[in-house]
Amino acid sequence: MTTRDLVLAALFTAIIIVLGFLPPVPIPLLPVPITAQSMGVMLAGCIIGAKRGALAYALLVVLVAVGLPVLSGGRGGLNVLMGPTGGYIFGWIIGAFVTGFLAEKLVREGQSATKQMAGFFVASVVGGIGVVYLCGMPWLSAVAGTPFPAVLTGSLAFIPGDLVKAAIATLAARAVTVGYPLLPARA
Amino acid sequence: MLTSLHVEGKSLLHRIPVKPKLFALMVFGLALYFVDQPLVLTAMLVATGLLYLSTGVGLSEGLRRLRPVLFTIAFLAAINLLLLSPEETLVTMLRLVAMLFLAAAVTASTTIADFMAAVTDLARPLERLGLMKAADLGLALGLVLRFVPEIAQRHEALKEAHAARGIPFKLSRMLGPLIISTLKDADRIAEAIDARGIRGQ
Repeated sequence: MTTRDLVLAALFTAIIIVLGFLPPVPIPLLPVPITAQSMGVMLAGCIIGAKRGALAYALLVVLVAVGLPVLSGGRGGLNVLMGPTGGYIFGWIIGAFVTGFLAEKLVREGQSATKQMAGFFVASVVGGIGVVYLCGMPWLSAVAGTPFPAVLTGSLAFIPGDLVKAAIATLAARAVTVGYPLLPARA
Repeated sequence: MLTSLHVEGKSLLHRIPVKPKLFALMVFGLALYFVDQPLVLTAMLVATGLLYLSTGVGLSEGLRRLRPVLFTIAFLAAINLLLLSPEETLVTMLRLVAMLFLAAAVTASTTIADFMAAVTDLARPLERLGLMKAADLGLALGLVLRFVPEIAQRHEALKEAHAARGIPFKLSRMLGPLIISTLKDADRIAEAIDARGIRGQ
């Protein structure tokens, strides 16, 4: 791991923390407001790639564990990691890795804009939604005792909002790819 | 902007070193799953609650810190009540809250410096696997904390720039410039770190 990789990951962690300070954006017709922070998983994977993206989230989890209120709404501390939604937070690390892995495979320089956007969107949905939920839901079910089918049904309410996030992340990732490409495949 | 959740104090919990505290938290969390008497769990909840308060966090601040998690737990309890027996619901919720109190007590009674030392130690196995150097962790975390205020400032500047041009604020419009302008600094920072030989290579 070069110093540049380390710095890129650390800067991205700082961006994710700042995104958590922003007030949540209410989306018409959706019951759940959009917090910019959970979009970071998709952004990190698509923009700085699998290894650095996962490192950025690992750093965030360490900051939460050592007792800094870096999560949206000023949450932090061991109680968040051990609480019912802790699985989602650990899932972010794996989610960022998978998003990055897919983005590195799917998106290349010289592809048409549509192809690049499609690649980023698929990577965001699989890594940023699929993987995160796969880690979060069993944990929630185990810790809170809520039966798994109920957790699964309840999670569906968040999917539309997550798809909006994936779309925004796709736009941002494409803008960065054009302006300042960083995915390791092209580095 | 980022104030630590540590609470100054000299309570018993403050004086116990961080590693035994983390170990106790893990053991306690696992042990709780083998207890299903509501009365015993209530006693544990009261005990961990008192322990949390003994750190000197204060009742209102103590509850304020846990409010988001307690809200999630209350929501899950409402769902569990529909699907499970009231007793099962009560047992899992008592368990969860007792564990949260203890976790919050460990967080409140440990300084960031102590935590960092423990985290660096715990990262040593990763170093042996060749994944990363444990010392890099401290460097990276220092960088994060250093740049959070700067990025927040940059975000404000972008917002003002948009407002000055009469463009309504939109997250999707802002993310690209914010990320590019931040990451463009990476090379300069990396060079500065290497020039000072901070990573000792």
